[in-house]
Amino acid sequence: MKLFAVCAVAGLILSLAGATLAHDDKTKTQPGEKVERSLPVDVEAVVTLCVASGTLKVRGWDKNEVRVRSLDATQIDFRRIDKTKDTSKPASRVDVMVLNKETSTNPRIDCQAIADVEMEVPSGATVQVQTRDGDIAIAGVAGAYAGSQNGDITIERATKLVEAGSVGGSILLKDSSGRVNLSSAGGGVEVMNVRASTDEDTFEVGTVSGDIQLERVSNAKVTAKTVNGTVTMSGPLAKSGSYGFTNMAGDIVLAMPHDASFQLNAKVSEKHDIVSDFALKYLSDATPPPPPPGVLKPKSPEMKSKSPEMKSKSPEDKSKAPTKVTPAPKPMPAPKAGPVIAPITVEKSSMPGHYVLRRVTAICGSGDATISIASFGGTVRLKKI
Amino acid sequence: MTRCLDEAKLQSYFDGELSLDMMESITSHLASCVTCAAAARELEEESALVMAALAAEFETSVPTESLRQRIDAAVLGERLAVAEATQKTTGLAAFFSGLLNFGTQRSLGYASLAVVIALAAILAVVKLRSTPQELAVKNPEQGKTPIVVESPSPEKGSNPAATGPVAVVEPQKTTENPNGTKPRYQPVNFTANAAPKATPVPVKLFPGERSYLQTIAKLDSTIKSGKKGMRPALQVEYERNLAVVDRAIAATRNAAKSNPNDPDAADFMFAAYQSKVDLLNTIADARLGGGRGH
Repeated sequence: MKLFAVCAVAGLILSLAGATLAHDDKTKTQPGEKVERSLPVDVEAVVTLCVASGTLKVRGWDKNEVRVRSLDATQIDFRRIDKTKDTSKPASRVDVMVLNKETSTNPRIDCQAIADVEMEVPSGATVQVQTRDGDIAIAGVAGAYAGSQNGDITIERATKLVEAGSVGGSILLKDSSGRVNLSSAGGGVEVMNVRASTDEDTFEVGTVSGDIQLERVSNAKVTAKTVNGTVTMSGPLAKSGSYGFTNMAGDIVLAMPHDASFQLNAKVSEKHDIVSDFALKYLSDATPPPPPPGVLKPKSPEMKSKSPEMKSKSPEDKSKAPTKVTPAPKPMPAPKAGPVIAPITVEKSSMPGHYVLRRVTAICGSGDATISIASFGGTVRLKKI
Repeated sequence: MTRCLDEAKLQSYFDGELSLDMMESITSHLASCVTCAAAARELEEESALVMAALAAEFETSVPTESLRQRIDAAVLGERLAVAEATQKTTGLAAFFSGLLNFGTQRSLGYASLAVVIALAAILAVVKLRSTPQELAVKNPEQGKTPIVVESPSPEKGSNPAATGPVAVVEPQKTTENPNGTKPRYQPVNFTANAAPKATPVPVKLFPGERSYLQTIAKLDSTIKSGKKGMRPALQVEYERNLAVVDRAIAATRNAAKSNPNDPDAADFMFAAYQSKVDLLNTIADARLGGGRGH
C-alpha cells in the first residue's frame, strides 16, 4: 500500500511538471498571437526571408529598420551577416530567421518554417524572398529577388532590379524600373509599365508553357523566350531599342503605335504567316542561306523548282539568284516607293511534312528599333494601336 | 440388288475398287433406280470437280517404280559396304589379338606406353580447360570494341527525333559472362527479324549537341539523386513542362536534320535544348530547397 502511494505521488509530480513546461511554451507561442521583431538596418540593406510554406508580403517604407511579424511563427530572429562585425552600426546584411513549432527545437534548420510572414524594409533595400508553397507580394523596394515553386509572385514599384522565378505559379510585375529577369515554367508572366533606370538595364523573360504578356515595357533591350506560349507585347518601342522574341509554338503578337519605326528580322516557319498592319519595306540585302544538300539537288530540276528555301520578294534578289528564289505570288514594288505588304504571303513548299524556315528582313519607317523574331511554329502579327 | 446404294459403295464403284460381279450388279441397279442414279451423278460431278482442282498436283511426278528400284539398290549398296567393314574389323581384331599375345618384356613396354598416354591425356584436359581464360587475358581489348550502329541518313527517311526525346547512347560492349570472362563468339540470330529488338540506336549528333546532352544528363541525375522525393505538385509541373520541351526538341531536331546546312534551323534546336537546361536548373534548385543563396 505504501509503495502504491509513493508511486502515485511520484506520477502526480511528474505530470504537474510536464504540464507546467507545456504552459511555459504556450506563453511563448500561443496560436494566433503575433510575433514581431525589428532591427535597425542600413538604408540599402540586403534582407533575406525564407520559409518552407506560407505567404510572404514585403513592403518598403521610409524607416531604416526591418520589422517582421507573423501569426504562425513561434519565434523570429535576425542573423547579421555583415562583413564588418561592428554591431553598433546598422546592419547591412540580415537574414530573417522564422521558426515555428517544428523548427524551433533546431534553429539550424533554415527555411523550413510554415508561416505567413509580413515584413517592412527600407525603400532602398534589396530583399531576397523565398517560399515553397505560397504567394509572394513585394512592393516599394529597390531590388527584389523572389522565388516560389507553386505560388504566384507579384512585384510592384521596384526601382533597381527584379529577379523572380516560379515553377508553376504566375508572375506579375508592374510600375517598376531597372534590370528585370523573370522566369516561370508553367505559369504566365505579365508585365506592365516597366522602364530602365540605366542604359544597361536589360529586360529578360522566359517561360516553358506559360504565356508572356508585356505592356509598356520601355527597356532598351527586351528578350522574351517561350517554348509553347504566346508572346504579346504592346506599347511604344524604345528608340534604338533591341527586341528579341523566340518561341517554338504559339503566336507572337506585337501591338505598336502607328508611327512605330523598326527593322524586322524574322525567322518563321513557312507554314505560318507574318501578318502586318504596318508598311514593311523589304531590304535588298536579305540573302537566303545555302540550300541544304539533301533537299536541293542541282541535278534534279524538279527539286530545284520545289526548293523550300526562303523566297525573297525583292526583285533584286530574284535577279541575283534566279535558280534558288521562287517568284513571289504578287510582284513587290520598288523599296523607294514605300509599299504596304500586309499580310506577307509566301509560296508554300510542295514537299509535305518537310520543315522549311523562311527569313524576312524588312523595315518600317526609319528603322529605329530592331525587332528580331524566331518563331519555329507560330504566326507573327504586327498590329497597330 | 433392290436396296439403294450407300455413298461408300458408290464411291468404291467409281474408284474401281469392287469386284467384277459387284460392279455389274451396281451398274444394273443404277440403270433401274432413279434415286441411286441421281446420287451417282452427284458423286460423279463432285469427283470431277475435285479432279479438276487437283489436276496440277496430279501432274507432278511422283515416286515411280524405277525410283523405288534406285532406293532399293542404294540400300543394298550400303548393306554391302557395312558387310565389308565388318570383314575388315574382323581382320583388325585378328591383328590386335596377335599383338595382345605377348610375353613379359612386351607387357612392360606396353605398360610404360599406357602411362605416357595417360599423362598426355591429363595434360591435354588441363590445357583445354584453361584456354578460354587465357584468351581473355591475352586479348583484353577484344570485348571492349564498341558496336555503334549508325542511324540511317536523313535521305533514307529516318526520323528518330520525331519519335521521342533524344537519348545519348553509350557505345555498346560485347556481352560478358557474370564471372567476367568474355565469350569467344557471339550468338547470331538467323531468324527473319534479325534486327535487335531493344538495342537503342545512337543518333548522329550535331556539333555542340553533345555538351547540351551531357549537361542535361548531369542535371537529370542531380534531380533524381535527391534524398527527398519530389512533391507531387512539383512533379506534375515538372513532367508537364518537360514533355513540352522534349516535344520541342524533337521537332526542332527533326527540322535541323532535314536542313543540315541551315544554321538557323540548328539554332532553334539549341534554343529548345537551352529551355530544357533552364527548366532542369529550376527544378534542381527547387528540389534542393534553394536556400538563401549566400
